[in-house]
Amino acid sequence: MSDRLLEVRNLTMQFGGVTALSEVNLHVSEGEIAALIGPNGAGKTTVFNVTTGYYTPTSGQVLLNNESIVGLKPHKIARKGLARTFQNVRLFGDMTALENVMTGADSRNKVGLIGSMFGTAQSRRDEENSHLKAAELLNFMGISHRGGQLARNLPYGDQRRLEIARALALEPKVLLLDEPAAGFNPQEKVELGELIKKIRDAGFAVLLIEHDMSLVMKISDRVSVLDFGQKIAEGTPSEIQNNQRVIDAYLGVADHAS
Amino acid sequence: MSTSKISMPKFNLRDKFGDWWEGTTRNQRIIFRVVLIAFFYILPFLDNPVFGTTESDFASVLFYPMGMYVLMAIGLNIVVGKSGILDLGYVAFFAIGAYTHAILGISFGFNFWVNVVLGMAFAMLAGVLLGLPALRLRGDYLAIITLGFGEIVRIVAINVNFTGGAAGLAGIPAPPNFFGVEFLVDDPRPFYWLVLTLSLLTIWAYMRLTKRRPGRAWEAIREDEDVAEFMGIATTKYKLWAFVLGGAIGGGAGAVYASQVTSIVPELFDLNVSIMILACVVFGGMGNIWGVAFGAALLGYFPEKLRFLSDTRILFFGLLMVVMMNIRPDGIIPRKKREKVYDKNTGKEVSR
Repeated sequence: MSDRLLEVRNLTMQFGGVTALSEVNLHVSEGEIAALIGPNGAGKTTVFNVTTGYYTPTSGQVLLNNESIVGLKPHKIARKGLARTFQNVRLFGDMTALENVMTGADSRNKVGLIGSMFGTAQSRRDEENSHLKAAELLNFMGISHRGGQLARNLPYGDQRRLEIARALALEPKVLLLDEPAAGFNPQEKVELGELIKKIRDAGFAVLLIEHDMSLVMKISDRVSVLDFGQKIAEGTPSEIQNNQRVIDAYLGVADHAS
Repeated sequence: MSTSKISMPKFNLRDKFGDWWEGTTRNQRIIFRVVLIAFFYILPFLDNPVFGTTESDFASVLFYPMGMYVLMAIGLNIVVGKSGILDLGYVAFFAIGAYTHAILGISFGFNFWVNVVLGMAFAMLAGVLLGLPALRLRGDYLAIITLGFGEIVRIVAINVNFTGGAAGLAGIPAPPNFFGVEFLVDDPRPFYWLVLTLSLLTIWAYMRLTKRRPGRAWEAIREDEDVAEFMGIATTKYKLWAFVLGGAIGGGAGAVYASQVTSIVPELFDLNVSIMILACVVFGGMGNIWGVAFGAALLGYFPEKLRFLSDTRILFFGLLMVVMMNIRPDGIIPRKKREKVYDKNTGKEVSR
């Protein structure tokens, strides 16, 4: 189990009387693209919100590198190596694209407020590091020409790419992508698929929530399916495509009375 | 992107200045700064009927309200403008600084310079004590808590003995001579220079903080606090720092103010001060320190300049505010950053 970077064990999340997740088991191993699919409202984003520390689970374990991260604050978890993007793009709109990515990169730096004020050698080194890393990541995502523009003035596709760049700046062990292809045309989806593979090959494990099945089936190494807060299937893309429970969950079960 | 209802031709003085500034050499920038700073130091001698104030002593106006507004507004700007924490009780820090100097100066004979530092320290301490629980809240709820804090400090000052109660404290010592500069009751100029110096120091610290990591963290928190937290920013820590640094400036301003007016009463520290300083920040341009400083100076200046209108001057002042908020809703100098657009293929900068 040592190659399991992120592991979710028996995760249950209840909001009042509503059970959003029930006894969910998931894992992401080194060097893989794992996908999490399921109908709307199945609890996919809740999995992200629990693993990144936004919610504390009702019960269950979340392990990052075999270390429990339940109960830690989101920024601590982020620094331990879990970065995410959002279903609806959430950038720092009034900051430039470069600054957005630098904000992520800053979390790997040591300098504090006092050091920054007096411009210590450490602060200058850190500043240069953040700047270099941010420029590199913008280049990696193919949006280096956008660096000086305000995030909210970027075209939609570039905003999505910028969000991924910002998450990568945290140097995460596992990158959580929440519907990165939403709103993309087929051509852009193909490009995005290549990009996600490139990210995987650069050494980041990926957990992907996505509704676009052709994308999921093409790039994922392993797919897990959630339905009404429960994991109903897990396997390779071809196994999932032929799984009767998954088909039922997506298409509905025939009503015998009719 | 302007929310203005009246569409205005693009007012590009700021871009012009920005382009010019980027083209200057290091030496030219130093000269520009020195000349500008020197101008502000000799400002009290430049009293004339055109931009001086006819009905009141210009040097007095430069100290209060103008100088005090500027110092407090750039302090509050760290909290409200840069970090997006709506603080409606900023007067509390001002009061703490003023009472620190008043009490320690009168009863214990402490030197003013010690008291300024102590006033800032006490204001910071109060900021930590209030901030730790209050900064868990956001938006309107935080605003209400800070509003309450401002009132609590004033009411405590009325009701306890060591602050002199409602009668306040009188005979607050002036600062001792500083390399030949004498702080006399009838000469506001040294006090103006003191406020100016503190403002410049604040601007210096602010510029250094905001162009590096803390500035990005504060902006990220202002833009989206949850996402900032997901991006590894210790939001509680940075919010507390912003709150406490803003408080320290307020405390320092309070100590200076008390040393000049020589007597203080709790009623000086009511909600109106908080609102006035917040108005300065919004009027000047939230999050842009030059806008805030300029806006605060203008808001201090106009009521004095319009004094010849006697009671109707407040009406004109209100009219000015309404007009300004319509034509420049983001403030005189908005915080919007200058964008640089590069061509995708050539990588060269594209002219806007």
